[in-house]
Amino acid sequence: MTASAISRPGERDRLIVKLGQIDWLLCLLLSAIAGIGAVMLYSIAGGSWSPWAGRHLILYGVCFALMIAMATVDLRVWFAMAYPVYGLGLLMLAAVAVVGHSTMGAQRWLDVGPIRIQPSEFIKVGLVMALARFYHGLSADRARWSWWLLIPAALIGAPAALVAHQPDLGTAVLIAATGGVMMILAGLSLRAVGVGLLAMGAGVPLAFAFVLKAYQRARLLTFLHPEADRSGAGYHIIQSEIALGSGGLLGKGLGLGTQSQLNFLPEKSTDFIFASMAEELGFLGCATVLALYAAVIVVTLRAAVISHSHFGRLSAAGVAITFALCVLINGAMVMGLAPVVGVPMPLLSFGGTVMITMMAGFALVLSVRVHRYSEVTSGKGAFV
Amino acid sequence: MESSIFLDEVNERQGLFQRRAFLLGGLAGGGLVALGGRLIQLQLIESDRYQLLSEHNQFQFVLSPPPRGLILDREGVVLASNRPDFRLLLAKDDTMDVEAVLANLARLVNLDEAHLQRLKDEIDDAPRKAPVAIVEDMTWEEFSRVNVRAPELPGVTADMGEVRVYPFSGAFAHVIGYVAKVSAQDVTKTGPNADPIMLNPGFRIGKQGVEKAFDLDLRGKAGARKVEVDVKGRVVRQDPRGDIPPTPGAPIRLTLDADVQTRALEVFGEDSGAAVMMDCRSGDILCMLSAPSFDANQFVKGLTRGEYKALAEYDRKPLFNKALTATYPPGSTFKTMVSLAALGHGFDPGRVYVCNRAWSWGGRVWHCDKAHGALNMHDAIRQSCDIYFYQAALTVGPDAIAATARQFGLGEAHDIGIPGQKPGLVPDSDYKRRAFPRDPVWHAGETPSLGIGQGYVSVNALQLCVMASRLANGVTALRPRLVQSIGDVAQPSGAQAPVLTIPRAHIEFVQSAMAAVVASGTAAHYGDIGLGPVKMAGKTGTAQSHNYTGGGAGAHGAQGAWALRDHAWFIAFAPHDDPRYAMSVLVEHGGFGAEAAAPKAAQIMRVALLKDPQVRARITQPMPTGLPPQMSGSAAGGAGPGAPT
Repeated sequence: MTASAISRPGERDRLIVKLGQIDWLLCLLLSAIAGIGAVMLYSIAGGSWSPWAGRHLILYGVCFALMIAMATVDLRVWFAMAYPVYGLGLLMLAAVAVVGHSTMGAQRWLDVGPIRIQPSEFIKVGLVMALARFYHGLSADRARWSWWLLIPAALIGAPAALVAHQPDLGTAVLIAATGGVMMILAGLSLRAVGVGLLAMGAGVPLAFAFVLKAYQRARLLTFLHPEADRSGAGYHIIQSEIALGSGGLLGKGLGLGTQSQLNFLPEKSTDFIFASMAEELGFLGCATVLALYAAVIVVTLRAAVISHSHFGRLSAAGVAITFALCVLINGAMVMGLAPVVGVPMPLLSFGGTVMITMMAGFALVLSVRVHRYSEVTSGKGAFV
Repeated sequence: MESSIFLDEVNERQGLFQRRAFLLGGLAGGGLVALGGRLIQLQLIESDRYQLLSEHNQFQFVLSPPPRGLILDREGVVLASNRPDFRLLLAKDDTMDVEAVLANLARLVNLDEAHLQRLKDEIDDAPRKAPVAIVEDMTWEEFSRVNVRAPELPGVTADMGEVRVYPFSGAFAHVIGYVAKVSAQDVTKTGPNADPIMLNPGFRIGKQGVEKAFDLDLRGKAGARKVEVDVKGRVVRQDPRGDIPPTPGAPIRLTLDADVQTRALEVFGEDSGAAVMMDCRSGDILCMLSAPSFDANQFVKGLTRGEYKALAEYDRKPLFNKALTATYPPGSTFKTMVSLAALGHGFDPGRVYVCNRAWSWGGRVWHCDKAHGALNMHDAIRQSCDIYFYQAALTVGPDAIAATARQFGLGEAHDIGIPGQKPGLVPDSDYKRRAFPRDPVWHAGETPSLGIGQGYVSVNALQLCVMASRLANGVTALRPRLVQSIGDVAQPSGAQAPVLTIPRAHIEFVQSAMAAVVASGTAAHYGDIGLGPVKMAGKTGTAQSHNYTGGGAGAHGAQGAWALRDHAWFIAFAPHDDPRYAMSVLVEHGGFGAEAAAPKAAQIMRVALLKDPQVRARITQPMPTGLPPQMSGSAAGGAGPGAPT
């Protein structure tokens, strides 16, 4: 396909052309990560497709097909859907606070018929879309520093507060951080960024003392001195570090990770899947996966940079931010550099909602890339 | 909010975005590099340390209890051994619902309400993560049933241990004792460095007798099994290469003879008492029985309260070791000592006293059980005349009698290796001085009683057997020996002992008098062993029971209520002309010694004699020729039913 063909009017709207424009490298990278995840889930189940690996692969396959399909959806449709999706997510979060299903002392789930939805995941994509939608129509001056910024602040603050209330501190921080970084990308004045960072430096100790619950404080403190509490909160960190460290350069081999196979590793299929992998595949395996993650981030940011619309730029970057934060927070947690919070390793960890969210996000990224030349105008979208 | 279409505006937003997006990419990359750095630290630099920690997680050393040493009789017959025991262990953790697990378990194996209650208490008391043996002695069916259902029973593991078994159940219960579960006291008593194996579930230590006295020898040293465990401590895999094998306990060979001992138990039947037999050339104890007995295996399993109560409250006291722990007046068996003391002081054995059934002396009347008429010392022993010995004792006094008695082993606890012996008492004027500060003088009136083995004097069955064996040996003050060897280490023989200072002629005089007791004296017929030329020599004795207040009806209080009757004694050795075995028999409340104790002694003695090839040769010599040759060897003719009666 030549550039001239692409530039022919109407040509770009043909499905076959759109499919050709899809970033297959990104698809390959994502599939590689999910595939490694499936292998690990197969291994830690003692060489069995159940209970995790099979479902992981099937879900990924379904999500992948949907992602390709959604990638062909015109960016203007995404644009038009931004606020409704965000609004729905916020509603569900509010519903969770009222009638949510509680596990492990936190209300995070919403039962919709047979499906169980975790709205805190859903809102991640919703927030990215909503912020991109808002900034798309905001001038650079106003994005730098103006009263208009109260709107994105509210867009970020509402879901973050609701999620923190569940309480799911990790996801709340993730949502707030994603929103904050998007504001910076959209052109927030660097002075304001500096002041904000200073305020955080002052506010975090206060929040620590007055807002957090006892178990959250314990978790936060424990990661600094895991040895002080070998049987409680520190146990997870110690066992995870042992799993990582004992893997060495080449790992113990698939199916031979004693830390995971003998259940010394907590949450081995979800939050600590990276530690399971580190134990069995060693440093080489870990470095490979981190490189894959880095490649995903680079490819996604590239899609953002080459997009002609501000909505496209910001939404693709927002997905990259969410993804990168997930990887960094989970990685730091598993390696004993951050407190234990419930943030999974994207695509590697087992878990339905997280996978759906991430794949929806990458559908948006692919769409941004496919429609990178599209002009998106406010109020004149395909639907509105 | 109109979208701006000015290019510079667009370019400004785009340029800013691109700069900051590159920055963002750099930050993300930096973060990932930091993670990589941490990975290098953990996985490459500190990897060794974490591999060690991982192994600590993965592997545990589980103590493997050593097989307990066997206890054998003098011929190697097994008196105590070990058998496999299928059992269930429960390791509790904080999350476990003990009640639910036990309820689940009760559907698979037989657990009654009392057992369940006891288990709950035991589990509550157990330290965290220390497994408790909850079911033992399962059948193979139960064992496999539980193994199959293991996933439904978290914290429960089935394993095979070993448990002590006493094949002769009751026969050796008092000597060998038994093992039972380790109590909290047992652990604290051992001090701060208690053998960790004591905390192993189901581990048992010796609580009585040989099992207790030689517990450490029998116990051996615990080994360890290297096992791979999961986070709940369940064993996932074994690693036999990492095992440290346990050192088995040393076998202990006793001098006891299983045939003699089992025969003694049979002979006693329902009667209460004790029988001790020694080889009177070596000092080896061939038999040490206390009757009635109990099944030591029950104690290994653990008695219920009711079972224990029944044993403890039975008036024939099966739990009491009457061979060592109970002391009684020796009665007329003591006349042998009085005779030797008198002879040693120049008493003429031909001296004649007349017995008219009563003798007035010192302001009171002393009785005899019948009018024996005029008799010398030989006949006085043969007939067991009290009136003769009242007077013989008076001629030498208590101190000489006591000195002789001590030389024959009375009044001292003999070290045979097991605890619980009472030394008894041989009184003399010195004793009077020490024990009765308000009346510190030995009165002459107390001597006649001593002459017939009553009064202060008290002995246990082992001591009387030692006395009999020294009398029979005639030369050496034999020491009793119960333990032949511990492991490969032989214990010193009882024959390595000082020589008796009593003139040989005096002892031979008493020996012949004792032969006459059985031949034509008080034990005539009763002491007949029916082995032709091989005959037994003995001395009867009747000890007034502590409960006996003179109210027992009939001669020797033999007719009254059981608990009020006199105790019957018989000491013996055989063959009378070439002594090899000596023994003492006590029948509690048996009445007259000859009637109650002598036949038992004869029955038990026969087994030992028939097992002795040289004695057998003497007996079988006169058999007519032409018959098939007798089975040679010792065990065949022993206690078997085919032995002549």
